Amino acid sequence: MIINGEICVGCGRCHPYCPTHAIYFEDLKSVVDQDICYECGCCLRIEVCPVDAIEENPHVYEYPRALRKYFSDPNATHAQTGIEGRGTEESKTNDATNRCGPGEVGILIEVGRPTVGMDLKDIQKITRALAKAGIHEIEPHNPFNSMIQNTSTGDLKPELMGERVLSAIIELQVKQDRLRHVLRTVRKVARKIDSVFCLDVITQLEPGLKVPQEVLDIIESEGFSWRPNAKINMGLGRA
Amino acid sequence: MTHSLHREGTLSSLKRDFCLFIYPARGFNYEGSGPKVRRLMELLYPTDPSNMIVSSLRRNLYSGVHPDEVLGSIKDGARVYSTFNSREKVKEVLIRLKEADEGISIMVSGLVDRVREIASEIGLNPHTINLSLGIHGRTDRLPPADIRQFTTMCGHGMVSPNLVRDVIRKVKTGKLSCWEGSVTLAAPCTCGIYNPHRSAELLKELTPLYTVTRW
Repeated sequence: MIINGEICVGCGRCHPYCPTHAIYFEDLKSVVDQDICYECGCCLRIEVCPVDAIEENPHVYEYPRALRKYFSDPNATHAQTGIEGRGTEESKTNDATNRCGPGEVGILIEVGRPTVGMDLKDIQKITRALAKAGIHEIEPHNPFNSMIQNTSTGDLKPELMGERVLSAIIELQVKQDRLRHVLRTVRKVARKIDSVFCLDVITQLEPGLKVPQEVLDIIESEGFSWRPNAKINMGLGRA
Repeated sequence: MTHSLHREGTLSSLKRDFCLFIYPARGFNYEGSGPKVRRLMELLYPTDPSNMIVSSLRRNLYSGVHPDEVLGSIKDGARVYSTFNSREKVKEVLIRLKEADEGISIMVSGLVDRVREIASEIGLNPHTINLSLGIHGRTDRLPPADIRQFTTMCGHGMVSPNLVRDVIRKVKTGKLSCWEGSVTLAAPCTCGIYNPHRSAELLKELTPLYTVTRW
């Protein structure tokens, strides 16, 4: 995003809306720090500027900066998935798709969330650790997959280094007996990154909204715990 | 991905906070889903959601949008995101959606025990769960837990911690009511799952605890 300095009246109303604190005062005008801005578009969308001085950066759709927008603006539709946002449909439509079948688990590593954002070097640390541990089951339809240059090493495309996004999701799908190995790997790499990530586990339920005990046992034995709230597919969908 | 499973707060606050999604499946029931989603939306709207958005319009309930405009925007593939502030309302909408039996996926985010009770009472058999194993990495870079109760209500991170602080300051100094502050906080969330009712309760609870140094 940019702020037109000739129009800006320096009221500062846009400042608190920026999730990454990229807007600051310079010579009594508001300015966007282009290194920090994630191109999420929040400041423009909120229509808080009294003189319409906030504009889209003319280079926002040029690669690789465009990735900032695709992975930070919830309204931007990613060219690869055709889906707004960072993920695929994951568990949301699993009753219709059965993508995550019995005996399988989905694992989502939501890097940069909540709110902190990240340099893509951070996510590369995770993909490299996963690749080194022999974990290659990354969901091919997730938009993040297009950033990976070498699946055997987990290296991202070199031109992406230095780019920043608000969040990106590494989406894995593995057999249940591989869950322990993935969680152990994720726990180790968590100490090495300079951002945060939310960790999710997706599994089909047993009757009565019962989470398979084997899944809970693995999560617990690897030193993780699950929150009391969750996202639940109510089983009303069909293909 | 709305991140709704990672909403933070106390159990007493979260027990009145539910998100409900209507989601056609790409490649399975996406084609021709528009009229079905519209029908489900017509059933959902009268149950008084706290907030709601349709992906084809992206304007939440507090943007001044007219319900007919929302319904008119629905086309194949449109998804509905909504949030509720009571267990009974979610139960009512699930009963309606179950009876409609349109075959479109419905997701509910909330306390697992509460959702289990509701599902049991109305005879639903949930299919899949997305469990949150919490936040990891540089958690020292996160805003404080009291601020995260607000910011995690928008999964895409569009509700800035600084905006929460700004609203608390304005409520504390009498420039905004708790409800007006909550609607201000809900505005940046374009997935429509920021719950302004819960947010107003949180503001009422937290505002007395803050000291204002700037007016």
